[in-house]
Amino acid sequence: MKILHYINFALIIAFLIAICVAEEVIVSSSLRQTQQDCLFIEAAIERLDNVKNTEIALMVDNLEYDWKNNESNMCYLVNHKSVQEIGQEIAKLKLYIASDDVDNFRVSIEVIKFYCHSYLHFMGANFHNVL
Amino acid sequence: MLTIIIRSIIIYLIVLLVFRLMGKRQLGQMQPFELVLTLIIADLATIPMAEVSVPVLHGIIPLLTLVVLHFLLTLLTKASTWFSKVVSGKPVIIINPKGIDYKAMKNLNLSTDDLFGALRECGYFSIDQVQYAIMETNGKVSIMPKAQNAPATNADLKIKTTESFLPITLISEGKLMNENITLAGLDEKSVQKIVEKEGGGKIKEILLLTVDKTGQSYIQTMKGEGKSFQTKEVGA
Repeated sequence: MKILHYINFALIIAFLIAICVAEEVIVSSSLRQTQQDCLFIEAAIERLDNVKNTEIALMVDNLEYDWKNNESNMCYLVNHKSVQEIGQEIAKLKLYIASDDVDNFRVSIEVIKFYCHSYLHFMGANFHNVL
Repeated sequence: MLTIIIRSIIIYLIVLLVFRLMGKRQLGQMQPFELVLTLIIADLATIPMAEVSVPVLHGIIPLLTLVVLHFLLTLLTKASTWFSKVVSGKPVIIINPKGIDYKAMKNLNLSTDDLFGALRECGYFSIDQVQYAIMETNGKVSIMPKAQNAPATNADLKIKTTESFLPITLISEGKLMNENITLAGLDEKSVQKIVEKEGGGKIKEILLLTVDKTGQSYIQTMKGEGKSFQTKEVGA
């Protein structure tokens, strides 16, 4: 019985470690992928100088697709409300494509990058978050 | 709504598991650190139940972390007397043969009303009746009465006694307790025989059948009255 007790606690500790590792891996890979997608879009805008074109639209679709997948994985681990801003900014990108609003498009891309950077900071395990 | 129902079930099961892992102590028997854990657990469990945006893991992880912490604290308190004193404190004598130890009472933030309340709970209405009173680490007061106020025992009265044995339940609410039947050294057939002889009915009609090591038994049907009898089946 005593051994079973120790096994239970060993399993709980293993589960806690697994969750911590999974959180670190999923959150950081998801946010880094989104950051990467944004950098590609920024490079494309620099090259094309407008946003109302198929290439940008496809890249934004790709960004949205990636984010939806990543967000659904992240929702097991982080508060939905904490990551909803990125989804909102991606929705705005589509509107800016329709109106060819390059300036606001750039701003939204910057905002997404900023959120990704911030989330990476506050969702990871660090001394600031602990305190 | 379905989400909340499912979340509530999950959290309930986890909290149940947590309390099972923490042991069977009742609220009044808890050490200070156990009481703190219980209060935190109750609070933590409600957050992911009602707040759908919070992942259910945000409720489960702290609960499991607290279980691990409790396990480690228990291990440490068992391993080190010093640590046990730091975490749980130590029993304090508040009444000794000289009277009330006022300094000890002040250290415990205990008033004379509290002390008298504790004495009355133990069945002593006068401080003259008490030789020692000890405040235990779980907050309960243990009393050692003065010799003339101590309840008389069979040994004091020199009464010859025989040891009594724990009754084993063989049938409860019409169901055979197979593990207990083996423990009593019986089998299903002998239980059936007892029931037919004493209960006059079927096993499913028996509310309770107990037997002890000496064969002293008690039977009660669901509709009838209970009766005690001696069975020869035990030890036969």
